[in-house]
Amino acid sequence: MARRRRRLASRVRGYVRGFLAFLFSNVGVVVLVIAYTIGGAFMFQAIEGASEMERVSNMTRERDNTAQYLWQNVTLTLNLFNETALKERISIELLNYQRKIVFAVRRGWDGGISSRQWSFSSAFLYSMTVITTIGYGHLSPRTSWGKIVTIFYALLGMPLFLLYLSNVGDLLANWFKCIYALVCMCRGCPGFTRRRVVHFRSQLELSDVESIERPAGWRQEYSGSEITPEPIPYVPQHRPDPRRDYFRSISLPQPSRNPRPDPIRGWSEPLPRPGSVSSDFAYVTFDVQTITVPISACVAFMVGYLIFGSMLFGMWEKWDKLDGAYFCFISLSSIGFGDFVPGERVYTPRIETSFIVCSLYLMLGMALVAMCFNLMQEQVLHYYACLKRVIKRIYRCKR
Amino acid sequence: MDRQNIHSSVHSSFRSRDSTSSTRSDPREKIKDCLRKFIAFMFTQVGVGALVVCYAILGAAGFMHIEKDSPDEQLENVKQWRQSCVEQLWNITNRYNVLNQTQWMYNSNHVLKIFQNNISNAIHQGYTGRTPEDIWSFPAALMYSLSVFTMIGYGNVVPKTTWGKVSTIAYACFGIPIYILYFCNMGKVLAQSFKWLYITAHECSRREDAMIEDGEIQPIKRKVTVPSTACLWVISFYILSGTIMFGAWEKWNYLDSTYFCVISLCKIGFGDFVPGANIADSAEGSHLKLVINFIYVLLGMGLVAMCYNLMCEDVQVKVRELREELKNCLDDITLKITVCMNDTKYYHQRQTRNVK
Repeated sequence: MARRRRRLASRVRGYVRGFLAFLFSNVGVVVLVIAYTIGGAFMFQAIEGASEMERVSNMTRERDNTAQYLWQNVTLTLNLFNETALKERISIELLNYQRKIVFAVRRGWDGGISSRQWSFSSAFLYSMTVITTIGYGHLSPRTSWGKIVTIFYALLGMPLFLLYLSNVGDLLANWFKCIYALVCMCRGCPGFTRRRVVHFRSQLELSDVESIERPAGWRQEYSGSEITPEPIPYVPQHRPDPRRDYFRSISLPQPSRNPRPDPIRGWSEPLPRPGSVSSDFAYVTFDVQTITVPISACVAFMVGYLIFGSMLFGMWEKWDKLDGAYFCFISLSSIGFGDFVPGERVYTPRIETSFIVCSLYLMLGMALVAMCFNLMQEQVLHYYACLKRVIKRIYRCKR
Repeated sequence: MDRQNIHSSVHSSFRSRDSTSSTRSDPREKIKDCLRKFIAFMFTQVGVGALVVCYAILGAAGFMHIEKDSPDEQLENVKQWRQSCVEQLWNITNRYNVLNQTQWMYNSNHVLKIFQNNISNAIHQGYTGRTPEDIWSFPAALMYSLSVFTMIGYGNVVPKTTWGKVSTIAYACFGIPIYILYFCNMGKVLAQSFKWLYITAHECSRREDAMIEDGEIQPIKRKVTVPSTACLWVISFYILSGTIMFGAWEKWNYLDSTYFCVISLCKIGFGDFVPGANIADSAEGSHLKLVINFIYVLLGMGLVAMCYNLMCEDVQVKVRELREELKNCLDDITLKITVCMNDTKYYHQRQTRNVK
């Protein structure tokens, strides 16, 4: 009894420890990134907000000056009733004035429409674009202190964000793999025991029949003839390869080196792997390490996320579909031209939330891109290993 | 092309292994092998660099062709607004008496404000005051395609047409993997050569020390890793040279050009400072500057990749050392704690015995 209780206690302790590690490694990194961004937002707001007011008042003075100039030099000196000459002069003056406006807007003056450019949310988006290296450039620091702080902020923030990407990317990749395994491979859970039996038998078969010399394509025939008939009456034609992948990768681990079935790999134990995610997925981790998600699934997922973003921003900002997709792609690939920025064209009271939603979308999207990269890399490595093995075998055959 | 590269390199490596094992003495075979290695190097390293440059040039030509004859209605709009503004000013002058200055000023100020708002709106929607032919010169298009596939994204030049946008997306989809290939390759090559340089320098100095101390040369067995400070020095030197170069050309002050270099090399690319965007500059000069900026950014990316590689190695070694130290520390502490605990237990036991 006491022993059982102790075992329970140790298990609970293990759970708690896993939970704490999860909190510190993943949630901690996310919180750190968000806190860093918020801190940056306050800092840039404090630094840049002051000079902005000055610029707005500068522009008002400029307009007054132009009107004054028009009055004194044009209207008073020229004859009043000479219409063409007057119009010509005024036109020249206006062209000059227009140049000034263009220059001022380039230097960051915002047409006086939204009174404060460096509001908290836009500063938040700004610091987000700095650490994600998107860099829209719709806002950029004007003061020298702002520039210096931006440089150091980027140098510190980019490694932090890379850490976030790798951490969260791994986590999401694991989750995605689990979901993929659940949905696409056994479709509901009654397949577990059966699969274990199959697995065991495959190991046995391997141990009996496996010899050094094999034709290159033996695995496909093998998995097709020996295993698939009894559990699944319909192996669908549109999803043949994940299953084949699964079997191939299950029977992968060095068939020629240890011909005996591993004592650990028996079917009575669900095989708790040491490096697996957490014990919640004990049944799934059984093959989560060996599952590879096909590239097409990753690409489809990313395209879906892009389309979702384009719908969202299309609704929000009244862009058309192409522009929304273009914006999402340019942002998620961290190019960031800045010709489309949320809250830039339509000046609404919702602009604050729009900035926040955009930065959240970007954070999640970057993590998803990292996830897809992880999965695709795994798959490519898997293909590469298969290819290498095949080539090696052919090479050996020839000798 | 890539397949060919891989194939040739694999082939050469196989052959080289064979040759070293079987016929070491044959000079002809050796020369052949050297030649093969050289060709492989040319194809993998130089080939990837050439591929990137070719891709950029191809993209530049394509984008120039697509974007050059795009109709720009903003220019027309701005002209119209100016006309109407002049008309309104004339009306004001006609209606009020000339001598009533305040009234005139007030009204014209209002008109000017409307004009100003219109123009600032137009600028937000992409009006730059230049025609597409002016903007999409060849070097600018080259810079644009560079900024697409290196993910910098300056944003001073953006596509306006639908086809331009679609082709930008496709171009990025194919360009970014090529660029990443370049990045990895260049990083590896530069890291190797830099490491070699560093190790030779290190060994030279080391050997003299050893000579003085021991009187005999001890071959250094342990692996030398380049410290990250050296990488930082290289990068900061590169940024400094860029600062001086752009500062002299573009008449930026040093802070601005440092800011530009860092923002470019970090791939942030705000686009508030872009070389060759100066309106007063002549066309040829700005074109030359754009091309040199292109080369500067590509080389800088290679350097960054090199530093990334070296620093990763260094950090890994440091982390391993740190972990070992921590483990030692932890062992020490646990030992001490157990000793202390035993002591106190012993003490308690003695006390209870005394009480009894």
